[in-house]
Amino acid sequence: MSILQIDKLSKNYGSIKALNQVSFSVPKGTVFGILGPNGSGKTTLLGIVMDILKASGGSYSWAGQQSTYELRKHIGTLLETPNFYHYLSAEDNLKIAAKIKGRGEEDIDKVLQVVNLYERKRSKFSSYSLGMKQRLAIASTLLGDPDILVFDEPTNGLDPAGIAEIRELIKELNRKGKTIIMASHILDEVEKVCTHVAIIQKGVLKTVGSVKDVMSNSGESTGAVEVLLIEVAADNIALLQQALQEMNGVIAAESTGSELLLTCDETIGAAQINKFCFDKGIVLTRLNVKRKSLETRFLEITGNQSDR
Amino acid sequence: MLNLFKIEWIKIKSYRTFWVLFLAFLIFYPVAFYFSASKYMETRDLSLQENALKAFLNVPFIFPKVWHAAAWFGGLFFVIIGMLFILLITNEVQYRTHRQNIIDGWSRGDFLKAKFSLLLFFVIISTGLVFLCGLLVGLSFSPANTNIFEGVQYVGYFALMAVLYLMVAYLVAIFVKRTGLSIIIYFAIVCIVDNTLWLVLTLNNSQIGYFMPLEAADSLVTNPFKPAIMERRTVSDYTLIVAAVIYISVYGYAIINYFRKADLKT
Repeated sequence: MSILQIDKLSKNYGSIKALNQVSFSVPKGTVFGILGPNGSGKTTLLGIVMDILKASGGSYSWAGQQSTYELRKHIGTLLETPNFYHYLSAEDNLKIAAKIKGRGEEDIDKVLQVVNLYERKRSKFSSYSLGMKQRLAIASTLLGDPDILVFDEPTNGLDPAGIAEIRELIKELNRKGKTIIMASHILDEVEKVCTHVAIIQKGVLKTVGSVKDVMSNSGESTGAVEVLLIEVAADNIALLQQALQEMNGVIAAESTGSELLLTCDETIGAAQINKFCFDKGIVLTRLNVKRKSLETRFLEITGNQSDR
Repeated sequence: MLNLFKIEWIKIKSYRTFWVLFLAFLIFYPVAFYFSASKYMETRDLSLQENALKAFLNVPFIFPKVWHAAAWFGGLFFVIIGMLFILLITNEVQYRTHRQNIIDGWSRGDFLKAKFSLLLFFVIISTGLVFLCGLLVGLSFSPANTNIFEGVQYVGYFALMAVLYLMVAYLVAIFVKRTGLSIIIYFAIVCIVDNTLWLVLTLNNSQIGYFMPLEAADSLVTNPFKPAIMERRTVSDYTLIVAAVIYISVYGYAIINYFRKADLKT
């Protein structure tokens, strides 16, 4: 069952096509990343499905229903920047959000504790640092324990510890069965957190699917074959390279000095390589299987340029 | 509507600028009105001519004319509320909270209704104050045995004028979005454009001037110190009330129609 169905969604600003016939669906229970360079249309897309922007064409539905404001009350959303009343405390700001959502105020202390802002709940929003503002925005999305969460650049402005906490929080929410839609231009973030990804560039959907599929995909757009990258090392690198170049399934074995980077097809894996080397009398000192990184795929798909 | 107002109240109850401007209206208007009345009604050292002039002017601080004067004085100070109302709407755009309110689950109509509930709040409080000021000043200076409630319809005219002024403020704030620019445009409309049009049209002996966007309600509550003989209006109060209601409806329609379809950007 899909939580969000997007069908040929377009948005024009004059002659500029911010979104061009984008279609995809977000399966229930996934962490769905919307990935794209700056200015690719990610926020525009989320703005439309949250009804703060009007589409020029196409349609969308949440859980099979045309979007209504009642439905949005059950979705926790952080869009673009934390939007709060600067002169109000964190607590009063969350009271407003809770009342709009038709919830009681009993959740407020709980969500502030989740993002470590409970002690500062009576401080004015204007006195918060950028990271605190972002954490308050995340707290606001958790009000009422919604089943769907939409995060636009959720780790924006956070320090490394904060980033790790929020990523862990997103994974934890997903483990509880929540569907999370997350827009980001940070590849590492999507790779670490998301189960599914849609890549958008210049308002056009480039590819969509599970992260595993997108990364290993033969890819209609690139024609690349599925590969596996494996790092190996032994005391004698030259001997190791000579041996592995003869192994079936190894496409390339490049030396990086202290280790070899193997490009293999899908017929072999770490176990086969370990056994093959041991049989040749070579003891591996390092064996590290790397998936093809999302960054590589992303750059293959989008080229190496920002959309701005 | 009451629930929407409760949310609006959380937004404004800790907002210092709201209290400064609101209290400015709540204090300056009654003080200025009472002070003017007591100065005007000081009769000790007045010459006969001045007393005759007062009679001629139809003393505005005793019943029944005090209602008219209370409404007119209230109108002078009500621009403060107009400015405050603009500020409370454009703040939402500045803080992008108009987007967040919608994201959190208000319909666009809810957002507009919430602001309208605020408009009603200002109109009800200020109309109540006009009534109280009229009553207290009237009781303080009128001779005994006068009919207190004769002419009380001016309190109603004030309410209509207040709604019309705030609807213009609402329209300007929703369309212009920027606080400073909205307030400048509002003051330009209230102080210059409307009055100039009225003056030009009225000097040409036309009654159309009384149907200008704000003048429709303004003309119901003219300057109480102006002798009746100088009044050039021949259109009835009833006609002006209908015109004001039509203006309010048109502004309301324009606001709803625009906001329902707009991209909510800053």
